[in-house]
Amino acid sequence: MSILEVKKLNKSFGGLVAIHDFDMSVEKGEIVGLIGPNGAGKTTLFNMVACFYSPDSGRVIFQGKNLAGMKPYHVCALGIARTFQVTKPFVNNTVLENVMVGAFSRTAHSHEARKKALEILEFLEFQEHKDVLGNELTPADHKRLELARALATQPRLLLLDETMAGLNPSEKPHLLELLRRVRDQGITLLVVEHDMKAVMTLCERIVMLHRGEKLVEGTPQRVANDQQAIAAYLGEEYATT
Amino acid sequence: MDFELLASSFLMGLMLGGLYAAVAVGLSLIFGIIRVINFAHGAFLMVAMYASFWLWYFFGIDPYISTIPVAVVFFYFGYNVQKWLIRPIFIREKALVIEPLGVLLLTAGLDLVLSNLALLFFKSDPRAVVSPAASATIDLGFVDLNVPRLVVFLLSFVIAGALYWLLNYTEKGIAIRSVGQNREAAALCGVNVYRIYNFTFGIGTAALALAGGAMVPFFYVNPSMGLSLAIKSFIVVVLGGLGSVPGALIGGLILGVVESVTAQFVMSTSSVIFSFLLFIVVLFIRPKGIMGVLET
Amino acid sequence: MMEKKENGKMARKKIPLSGWAAGAVLALFLIVPLFIHNPYLLHIFVLVFLFAYLGTAWSLVGMAGQLSLGHAALIGIGGYVSTLMFMEWGVTPWLGMIVGGILCGIIGVIIGYPTFRLRGPYFALTTIAFAEILRIYVENTEEGPLGIPLRGGMGLLVPLKGDAPGVFQFSTKEPYYYIALLMMLAAIGLSFFINRWRMGYYLAAIRSDQDAAEALAINSTKYKLIAMAISCVLTALGGTFYAQYFRYINPERAMGLSMSIEIALVGVVGGWQTVLGPTIGSILLSPSGELVRAYLGGTYAGLHLCLYGLLLMVVILFLPNGINGPLIRALKRLEAKMWGPKMIEKVTAPETAKEDKP
Repeated sequence: MSILEVKKLNKSFGGLVAIHDFDMSVEKGEIVGLIGPNGAGKTTLFNMVACFYSPDSGRVIFQGKNLAGMKPYHVCALGIARTFQVTKPFVNNTVLENVMVGAFSRTAHSHEARKKALEILEFLEFQEHKDVLGNELTPADHKRLELARALATQPRLLLLDETMAGLNPSEKPHLLELLRRVRDQGITLLVVEHDMKAVMTLCERIVMLHRGEKLVEGTPQRVANDQQAIAAYLGEEYATT
Repeated sequence: MDFELLASSFLMGLMLGGLYAAVAVGLSLIFGIIRVINFAHGAFLMVAMYASFWLWYFFGIDPYISTIPVAVVFFYFGYNVQKWLIRPIFIREKALVIEPLGVLLLTAGLDLVLSNLALLFFKSDPRAVVSPAASATIDLGFVDLNVPRLVVFLLSFVIAGALYWLLNYTEKGIAIRSVGQNREAAALCGVNVYRIYNFTFGIGTAALALAGGAMVPFFYVNPSMGLSLAIKSFIVVVLGGLGSVPGALIGGLILGVVESVTAQFVMSTSSVIFSFLLFIVVLFIRPKGIMGVLET
Repeated sequence: MMEKKENGKMARKKIPLSGWAAGAVLALFLIVPLFIHNPYLLHIFVLVFLFAYLGTAWSLVGMAGQLSLGHAALIGIGGYVSTLMFMEWGVTPWLGMIVGGILCGIIGVIIGYPTFRLRGPYFALTTIAFAEILRIYVENTEEGPLGIPLRGGMGLLVPLKGDAPGVFQFSTKEPYYYIALLMMLAAIGLSFFINRWRMGYYLAAIRSDQDAAEALAINSTKYKLIAMAISCVLTALGGTFYAQYFRYINPERAMGLSMSIEIALVGVVGGWQTVLGPTIGSILLSPSGELVRAYLGGTYAGLHLCLYGLLLMVVILFLPNGINGPLIRALKRLEAKMWGPKMIEKVTAPETAKEDKP
């Protein structure tokens, strides 16, 4: 059984069709990339898997369970965590407190939550920042905070929304390494990205969206060589080495 | 139900509604564009009315005439209130995450200060201008329409019309509307947002003063009249839709009619409850108001 | 609040100076009635405790990001319920208090549920509307539903029983003093624990960014309602105290907008985001307000309100987070040689080591 199955998903906003007849499945332990030009519908799809929007028709099935009608907090409790493209730290609280909020989803006790939060921070090599306030972080650290918070909810599936956005080239490899480590812990990753280099190196499988529909799907190599994909989006210089 | 009674109360309601509309239209601009709750709105009205009153009392100037210079003075008053009192809070709010009650409490304080200063200096006896014009009426058969009230009713349309023209047919007006919709984007287009805020507050207050001057002939001014009119103005603004001048007009008229007609069935002091209920209902069902153009 | 390390979380190391200060003040409060017998002075203390209690209860909803200006309605309901139950059925106010509390908790949830999705100023306006509806209704109603005599604007006079602890009445100020102090401490304690427990973290998260909170498995509506219910129950209990202390309750004073503003004022001046904030706010405002009212209210009617308004404006303009923030920071700076600012400075310095990673 796939950990995530998306079947015939449709979503329109007024007259604009954002997602049309979309199918996808993700296996446990995979790192799947979701790419496409701007406006292709990636974030809409994302938001439907995380239940921030509900689809007009179609189903999202997580670990065999239909997510229809659920709220985001239900979904998180079930095991899907997400980050936001524009990070949303709790600015008046420290990094540790931010991550504890995530940890509290699995325990009601402060000391357990703190312990778990510290573990996550160590795992992401973030622990020296634990007492820094949310609004005093660098953009790269904001991303790590988002990741840490999401991880604290002990997800089975992690949705990452343009985690690489806003990072400079020297910061990216480190984050990619951390993401691989996250997957090695047994967590499935679904990644929306614009950064092609990151996608090619990180993802095992790529799904490409164009105008709300699935254009092509397959290994990074395959997608990079697909003429349609190239025509729509990729540049030739981004094929995997 | 007696038709004549109903019709006359409806007509009275329209007159009352004109008053509410005239008072609220300036607030619609202020609340709609700057998004602040000015608790002192009623107190400003009260002070403007006292100004007109004393000008009549000591210098014999007809309130309908004095209302214009008073309105000009109040433009500057409002302008500076925004500039010196409210703007610092905006600037501070940008740094913090939330401070929703800041301006509300500030203006509540301002209301306390103004009302009680008025109480101290003017004492609590209500004042009204005594003039032959004040009690002139037009006989419509089933009801007598009080002329000064009719003037306010008509004035509400004039003020609303003038503001509508300002907003839609002048460059300043376009700037004001743009700031109301998206202040960052407006700033990026070269609009000096804070100066627009100052101007808007000034215009709203001037409109208020204009209405106040016309109310002096029949409305008993007293220091504590401010708060209830302020709250009614907010009801009107929400009813009619944020930032919509025609909406404020319609909202005011509706409120006036609702109050007047329900007062036939329950004690007049209780009829205010229906205004509040209407307010709550509108907030839940159609927060944008009747003619809302801006997002709540 | 979470960012304010009070004598609790970090207690393993040592109790910070702010903790000692708070402890000293508490000890002082406990022994005051042994030295001061002037009933008027004791009255001022009672007011301080009462408004600290009400402000703290109010701030619980504020922690969820919704600032209410209608809390006076709860005082009114609490006070009226216990008083009416006593007057009509002889039920002791101690019991009536609980009934009023539960009733207000339920009302709070019912009103909160649809109202919470309204943002800042609209929420405030709506709370004002609800409170005013109640006040106007009671003021104009001699006889309410089920024939209950509400007595309109006249208010209710609590039947005088002299010294009768069983029905929450005492002939001297001292018992009221200690009851009010106890209530204040209980409210502070509750606020403190809520902050330390998961609920406090969740409320802060909801207040900060509701979408992010929901993505972290927080049912924001549920927690807001819980905070609202607790706040309403506590405020209602305060209403019963109010009725029993003044032995009189009427719609204008107890349910009026000015009461709601006074409660919010105490919270805003002292800092509603912190545990001790409202208490400090009350310590500052209640005595000055009362003294001005007593000495100036007669000769210059309204002067005390004018000064109150001026104070309010000054505070809002110059003290962004209430007084509490700067006060606590000042106390911390006194003891911060090793800890506090130094550590944070070190941490936010650029991490040069990181870039070496392959």
